[in-house]
Amino acid sequence: MSKAKHIFVVIVLSLLGITMVINLNKIPGNTDQINFIYSHITNNAVLETGSLNFVTAILYDYRAYDSLGESTIIFGAVSGIVLLLSRKTLPVSSHGLSFIVKRTFGMLTPFIFLFSLYIISHGHLSPGGGFQGGVILGAISIIFSIVYGSEFDFKRYSPTTKTLLETGGALLFIGLGLAGIIFGGYFLENLRFLNTEIGSLLSAGSIPLINTVIGFKIGAGLAIIFYSMIQKTFKEEDKL
Amino acid sequence: MINHIVFVIIFLLGFYAILVKKNLIKMVIGLNIMEGAIFYWFISITDKGDKIPIVNGPYSSALVNDPIPQALILTGIVIGASTSAFLLTLIIELNKFTDSIDPDNLGRMIKD
Repeated sequence: MSKAKHIFVVIVLSLLGITMVINLNKIPGNTDQINFIYSHITNNAVLETGSLNFVTAILYDYRAYDSLGESTIIFGAVSGIVLLLSRKTLPVSSHGLSFIVKRTFGMLTPFIFLFSLYIISHGHLSPGGGFQGGVILGAISIIFSIVYGSEFDFKRYSPTTKTLLETGGALLFIGLGLAGIIFGGYFLENLRFLNTEIGSLLSAGSIPLINTVIGFKIGAGLAIIFYSMIQKTFKEEDKL
Repeated sequence: MINHIVFVIIFLLGFYAILVKKNLIKMVIGLNIMEGAIFYWFISITDKGDKIPIVNGPYSSALVNDPIPQALILTGIVIGASTSAFLLTLIIELNKFTDSIDPDNLGRMIKD
């Protein structure tokens, strides 16, 4: 790009920036509608859903339908990536790092797994939830690929297992939604069978169940994305 | 006011990267910077300066931040991650066929 073009882009962008700042200042702040929804949720969400975390209450109870759409988007992205980078040929892309790194991660990986399970299962009590814990779960597959080599990842946590977890998570999520229709009245209604005292682990109805299902689905989905990408970025002759 | 200015600066940096850079991966990075700017802006203008939206029990004080924008942004982050993963996959495939990740070369190839 020539210098004149470059200067033109900078001038246009700075003019755009000035107009954006002027217009953003005209956005209204707290309207009555926003305050109504805010006060309704902060006053009633704990009693209505049993979840102490308001964000989780919105994501997996009030607007669980949106979370279903969100996980469908992830499912679509994973399907597209697998379609483009098909897994038919399997060149061994890495052989792992040194002995010390392998032993260290051998001790660390179970705790990473435990931490991800904690984040997923305590989504209704503390910061976290299915999406956040699922990302940590997906990191385990990345550790397998980088530290132990992609062959180890292929043997221990095979693509079939990942696909089963991904599709099984999506199906169980829809199953929980249909169970809402059968036992309650509408799609993804909070099933009221896990109702011990508010604040304990087994409370909040179907929120922990949806969290667990989404956590495993997201973890498997990210593992599939990483696995599909790493297999293809190395060429056959780069093999050590 | 300062939120808007910081948002516009970060957003335009990402936009500049998309317009000027001659590398598709850098353009995806620019897209991610724009996304990050929007997430920052949305959270910062709805911030009331109160506690995080997690309470101790059903009847504890309800003076917390608005949880709805946070839930929305969580959705946005997940969708942004999946779209950028898909874009990077398309770039990998493109590189396999054309041996280049320059958008200008891509236009030349389509002409031929």
